[in-house]
Order: sequence, then C-alpha cells, then structure tokens
Amino acid sequence: MKDLRIKISGTSGQGIISSGDILSYATARKGYYVTTYRAFPSEIRGDGKCYYTLRISEHKALTATGNTDILICLDEDTIYECISEMSQNGILIYDSDLVKDLKETREDIIKYAVPLESIAKELGSPRSRNMVALGIVVGIIKNLHLEEQILKDIELRYKNKPQEVIDSNKKALNAGVEYSHNKLERKDNYENVKMESTGAKLIMSGNEAIGLAAIAAGCRFFSGYPITPATEIMEWLAKELPKFGGKMVQCEDEIAAINYALGASYGGVKSMTATSGPGFSLMQEALGLASMAEIPVVIADVQRCGPSTGVPTKTEQSDLFAAMYGTHGDCPKIVLAPMNVADCFYQTINAFNFAEQYQVPVIILSDASLGPRRECVDLIDIEKLNIINRQKPQLSEGDIYNRYEDTYSGISPITCPGDLYGEHVVTGLEHTVYNAPTPAPEVHRQMTEKRFRKLETAAGQFSKAKTYGDDEANIGIISWGSTSGPVFEAIDKAKEKGIKVQALYPRTLYPLPTDWIKGFIKNKEVIIVIEANYNAQFKSTIVERCAHINKGMEVLEFLKYDGTPFTPEEILEEIEKVVALENSKHELTTNKHTHF
Amino acid sequence: MKQMEANDYKGKVKPSWCPGCGNHAVLAALKKAMAQLNYQTHETAIVSGIGCSSRFPFFLSTYGFHSIHGRALPVAIGLKEARPEINVIAVGGDGDGLSIGGNHFIHAGRKNPNITYIMMDNEIYALTKGQCSPTSRIGTITKCNPYAWTADRINPVLMALSFNASYVARGYSGDIKQLEELILGGLKHKGFAFIHIVSPCVQYNKVSSFEKIKEIVRNLPSEHDVEDKINAMKYAFAPEGLYTGIFYKVERPTYEERYKEVISKAKELSGDNYTIKDVIKQFQ
Repeated sequence: MKDLRIKISGTSGQGIISSGDILSYATARKGYYVTTYRAFPSEIRGDGKCYYTLRISEHKALTATGNTDILICLDEDTIYECISEMSQNGILIYDSDLVKDLKETREDIIKYAVPLESIAKELGSPRSRNMVALGIVVGIIKNLHLEEQILKDIELRYKNKPQEVIDSNKKALNAGVEYSHNKLERKDNYENVKMESTGAKLIMSGNEAIGLAAIAAGCRFFSGYPITPATEIMEWLAKELPKFGGKMVQCEDEIAAINYALGASYGGVKSMTATSGPGFSLMQEALGLASMAEIPVVIADVQRCGPSTGVPTKTEQSDLFAAMYGTHGDCPKIVLAPMNVADCFYQTINAFNFAEQYQVPVIILSDASLGPRRECVDLIDIEKLNIINRQKPQLSEGDIYNRYEDTYSGISPITCPGDLYGEHVVTGLEHTVYNAPTPAPEVHRQMTEKRFRKLETAAGQFSKAKTYGDDEANIGIISWGSTSGPVFEAIDKAKEKGIKVQALYPRTLYPLPTDWIKGFIKNKEVIIVIEANYNAQFKSTIVERCAHINKGMEVLEFLKYDGTPFTPEEILEEIEKVVALENSKHELTTNKHTHF
Repeated sequence: MKQMEANDYKGKVKPSWCPGCGNHAVLAALKKAMAQLNYQTHETAIVSGIGCSSRFPFFLSTYGFHSIHGRALPVAIGLKEARPEINVIAVGGDGDGLSIGGNHFIHAGRKNPNITYIMMDNEIYALTKGQCSPTSRIGTITKCNPYAWTADRINPVLMALSFNASYVARGYSGDIKQLEELILGGLKHKGFAFIHIVSPCVQYNKVSSFEKIKEIVRNLPSEHDVEDKINAMKYAFAPEGLYTGIFYKVERPTYEERYKEVISKAKELSGDNYTIKDVIKQFQ
C-alpha cells in the first residue's frame, strides 16, 4: 500500500488540528507526499466538530478527500458521522473510556477500542489524549518510521511553550506507540504500508503560500482585518514582513484595510490585503477606485460559504461573480484562481506582476478548502521567478508629466511621492490624461477604453490554462480553483474504467481566456462544468462567452454547495452518469436509423 | 533645495469653490504654512475623500490623492506608514470625516500616525446641494428634513480629544492668520494632529453663516494649559461660545516609532541578512 488516508476527528478543543498538523509536517519531512483537508467550526470551544484529513502517499496525491483508511475519533458523535466514508478493512480507533457501547454495526472494518483517557490520565496529562491516539496510529503504520520525526516536530511546534508541555506530549505519543505494539490485538495488515521517501520537499498551507509569494514578489505592505478563513495570511505576514523591514497593519475594518493598501501602493510600495466574503463585499468601492485611479493592489479572497456571514469555516466558490463583476461601473481588473497550494504561490507572484505592470487591482480567489490546507509543494527556485516592477517615466526639470498618458498598451508610466517632477493627483473621478477631473463625454469614452486596453495587453501574458487527461476525449470538464485535485483524480479513475475525459483549468478567470476555452470545447461533445456554488457562476460565464463556438455541444453542470469540497468518487459517479446518458442517446439515434 | 513660497504650491486646477467660501482661506493658510517649513512639492502629499473641501489636492502643486467618500484617513495613513519620509496631510469635510468616515477618525487618534488632518466644517453637505451633516445646528432645515430638525450635532474637537489625538486645535476661516499658526503647529507636531476649522458655506447654510459664527467665536484663554486634557474638554464643551486655538498638544510615540520596535524585534530573530531563502526554511 502506497497511499493512505487518515482522518482525525472530534470536538473542538480536543487537539484535532495540532495532532493533524504535527503528523502532516512529520510525514513531509520524512520525504513522503502529504496533502490535507481541515474542517472546523466557527466556535473555539463547545460542541463544534473538527476534522483533519491527511493523505500520505509515495507519489504526489491531488486531494485528501475520499475514503478513509484509518479513522481516529476522540469523541462519540464523529464516529457515526464519519464511519460511512471508511474504506473496506479500514481501521477505526476510538476511546473506550468514552464510548462504552458502540452502536455501530459495520462489519467490514476493524475496530480498536483503546482506553485513551485512562492512558493519558495515567501519564498525568489528561489533555494529551490526542497524542496517545496519534501514537497508536504511528505504531500501527510502523513501517513508515514516523515516530522519531514526530517527536522532533512536537518540540518544534511547542518550542515557545514550557518544557513540561513538550514532555507530556512526547510521553503521550510514546505511550500510544507502546500500546499499539504490546497491547493492541492486531487484526489489520497495515504493517504492509511502506513507502519510499522521495526526497526534500516543502510543506505549507495555501494561505502561507500566498504570504510567501507576496514577500518573494516584493510586497512590503499588508493591511488587513481578521476574518476566517483568511486571517492566517495576515498572521503569517505579521511575523515575516517586519524581518524584511516591511509592515503589517491591522486596520479598523476591511474598508480601511484596502484603502491603507491603496495609500501605501500610491507611495510606490507593493501592497496587498486578504479577506473573505463579507470583507470582500466591504472592499468593493475601493476596488473601483484602484481601477479608476490605476493603483496596483492585490486582494486575496479566501472564499467561504455565503451570502452574508454564511458558514464562515466551510468552503464554497460563490464569490466568482463578485470578483468578476463586483463594484459599480466598467471596472477593469484581473481575477486569478489557484488550483492547489503550489499554485497559490505561483498565482500570487503573477498577481503582483499583473498589478504592478498593468496598474489594476488583482484578485486571487482561494477558498476555505485551499487556504488552511497543508500539502507538499515541490522545491521553489527563487532565482527563476520573474518579478516585475511598475514602469516609471524618465523625467527632468521642466517636463510635463501626464499621469494618465493614453498609450498604445494602455499603460501610463507611474511616479510616486518622492519622485522629482512627477507630482500629480490621482482620483476616482473621471479625469483627463493630465489628471484633471472632467465630465466631458469624449474623455470618459477615451479613458474607459484606455483602461480596458491594458487588459488586452495583459492577455498575452496570462498563465496557460491547465489541461489534464486525454486530448481525444469527447467528454470535457471545465472547472476552476481548488476543485482540480478531485477532478484530476476522478479523470485518472475514469481512465482505469476505459472512459476518456479531459479537464481544462483556466487560472485567469477575468478577463476570461475565451481562446483557450473555445479551443478546448471545439471537439468535445459534452462539457461538464464543475464548481462549488448554486448559481453555476462559471458555467453561465462560459455559456455566455464561448458556447456559440460549438452549437451541437451540451453544457452540463455539476454543482456542490453544502460547504464540503468535492470528492473524486462523486465526480467519477457524475462522469459515469453522463456517459450512460450519452450512450442511451446514441442508441436512440442508431435505432432510428435502422428503422428507416 | 528650492526655497519655497506660498505661490509655488499653486496647482494646475483653479479652485472650484464658490466665491466667499471659507475653504479659500484654508488653502491660503496651508500654502503659507508649508512654505514656512519649506515643504518640497515632490515630498508632500495631500490626501482627501469626497466633498467640496475634498477637492483640495487638485488646487495644489504637490502630490495628491483624491480618494473616495470618507476614506482620506486610511489612504493617508497607509501612505505615511509605507513612506514615512513623505509629508502627508489629510483634508476633508464634516460629512466625509465624521459621518461616512467616522470610524477611521477614532482609530487614527489611537494609532497616532505622524500626519496632519485638516477638517473643514461647514456644518452641511454642500456638494450634494445642502443636506444636514453630523455637525448641523438646531433649526437647520434642508430638503431632506423640510419640516423639523431631527438629530443632535456632534462635537469634533471633543471627539478628537477622547480618541487621544496628540494635537487638537480649532480655527475659523474668518481668521486666516490664526489658521496659519494652527496649521503650522499641526505640521510641526510629531503625531496625529487634528485641526478643526469652522469654514462656513455661503451657499447652503444660512444657520452657520460667517456673521453668526463670528458672534460666537472666541480665543482660548492664554493661560490654558495645552497639556491639560480635562480642561481642554471643558472648553470644547463650553456652551458660552466657540473656542479657537490649541486645545491640546502632548507628544507621544507615533505609529511609525512603535512599529520600529516591531521591526527591531523581528530582526533580532532573523538577523539583518535574512532573505526569502531563509523564509522558505520553515517549510522544509
């Protein structure tokens, strides 16, 4: 077995996230691939449930979602909730001190009742039940040799805590390992789980990848307001930016946050903010200002379920319309959608490059399934990154500087305070090339065209849309952002069953790369647009802009809006349904032909 | 460096305010104060929101940012924190700063950025042709409240004092000499300097005309101790008239100075030669 899914679940406050984090770091540092998925409630303590899924594999896995091989439940409720998604011969580990009478009848799995609480109490640290449980797992999959690395990772994670915290966690882990070796009556064959280490790699969350890329791109100013699930970007940059002499300013609200960033960017410093749905709504007016006044800025929207406060900790892709069409007026901007954690890094580099080069706001659409999730990323070659800075004019005394010079590319060279002879006023009012406000009809027309011309210039530089699967396939999937993992995996599974499917993932969603989409759909008979929202926001965009290219083609949708990410299994099921439907249609046509 | 004169700050755009508007005096006073400090146009930025007085940046030859309604302060502070060496002056009206942008005013006082904030208070929304603002007086009747006056007014000087602004002054457009002194004091002050200027609207506000304001204006007594905040609050509350002058002035560390401590603590951990390659190590 070279691919293993482990899920740790329980009630918030039981240490689900910390044990999951420790296990994922240790796995990556051991040289295996790991990808994760975290779900947690909005409440800090109380009855909310936490889930941490890890998929450990020898080859790079695309998604953590799917059937669970080893399920560790620190409370009773999550046993009944999660057991149905377990694979055959999977292992359930639960606390026999807590669950006296297991009301679960599934017989194709192995159940280990372990007195987690008694073991932890005996060690004098009842709160380290999570580490005892982790020790049990580590003992069970002993041929992955994780024990030593986990002990190191416990030290690293709690290095700022008192020594007794480190010690009690280590003891608990050891006790769990020991229990699994000596007391557990093994009925499973997970000793056979063996993987080759594939060498050094990085492990980070989607949010951290955005923060890291911001620094690599030269961002030295971040302003933000705390909001789940985007806060991690702000926290990470608060720690790292000052080391580079940069600043992270916590603001009074999201309106202030984006306006601080605009002020800083006007000052010539690469700037960004990060938020989620409600904050993104508050930023809309300033987004228009950035577009109108042509001020570079990057905004990361880590989407959550909406509208309004919605479900703050759960995932959705329902801010697409807000990102593409939000804010009033004709507003050129660029919207990017990273597909996974590594792509969060590279699309954020692109975001800064586009913002600086084209003097537009650039929005990065991440989401709650991508932002907090940790996974392995191949080593990043910093030297190979192409970092672009804004274009400055060459000015000398007596020169007349027109801030909004109407150029062929639409890009007007930009100065900032401190630059001699470059004084100008930026404004959200319509303005002439020399930045004087005016309501003149010909000026509004000219300047609107000038601002949009920048997007035409930019279009040549967008990252290529990613294709995955068979070029010959008649069935196409078009999707965006974080769905890529389960979709690609479903395509692999379909291939095993002899079904050819090809997927297309544009990374730039606005302006929509219609050429790539048109090229992709040309020889497809049916397209399934997969996205996590009710309104089929991307599908309607594609249908509106591109579907006329292939009039005979059917455009179907597969949507999910329950707050959980797609699984490869449900996408495969959908593909099979579509295949069956297409076959029955073909039969119908063929039958008709025979009759006549 | 060029020796600046008030006229050097004349912008490309001619002031669009009505003849007789109080804001002309503020513009003249600011130009004189900047000249006294020899502010270079390329090292100075005027930031505003939306409203009659927010057109200010266009009438100057410095850098300028005419932003959106209520957001002069966040833009100005963002600029100052990104480029501490630039002279940053935020300007705007009572509606812009006390109504839609009120929240930012609170937090500017708390953060104490080293900027000057000049609020031209005409006690009315004038650019939208006369509606009540947060400082409109009892009896102000407009098209939006044609029958009766419906809300109390707020007191900007008292607000600034309670938000812990480190320089709080009030002037009046009828006294340009005092305005110049107050603005000069604000520009020189290290920290968040708030200057409230009663600047009558000649078009839409008959309740608070130059004549009526002139009757109630009086200088703060010369013995007023500018470090005595409680006394400053008493004068701000005073029912007997509208006091002008410096209410409060006490320097304390600015946001920039406090953030220097953040940077030095962070650099203690990272060392001075920290690069992006070092950052990546935490993910290995």
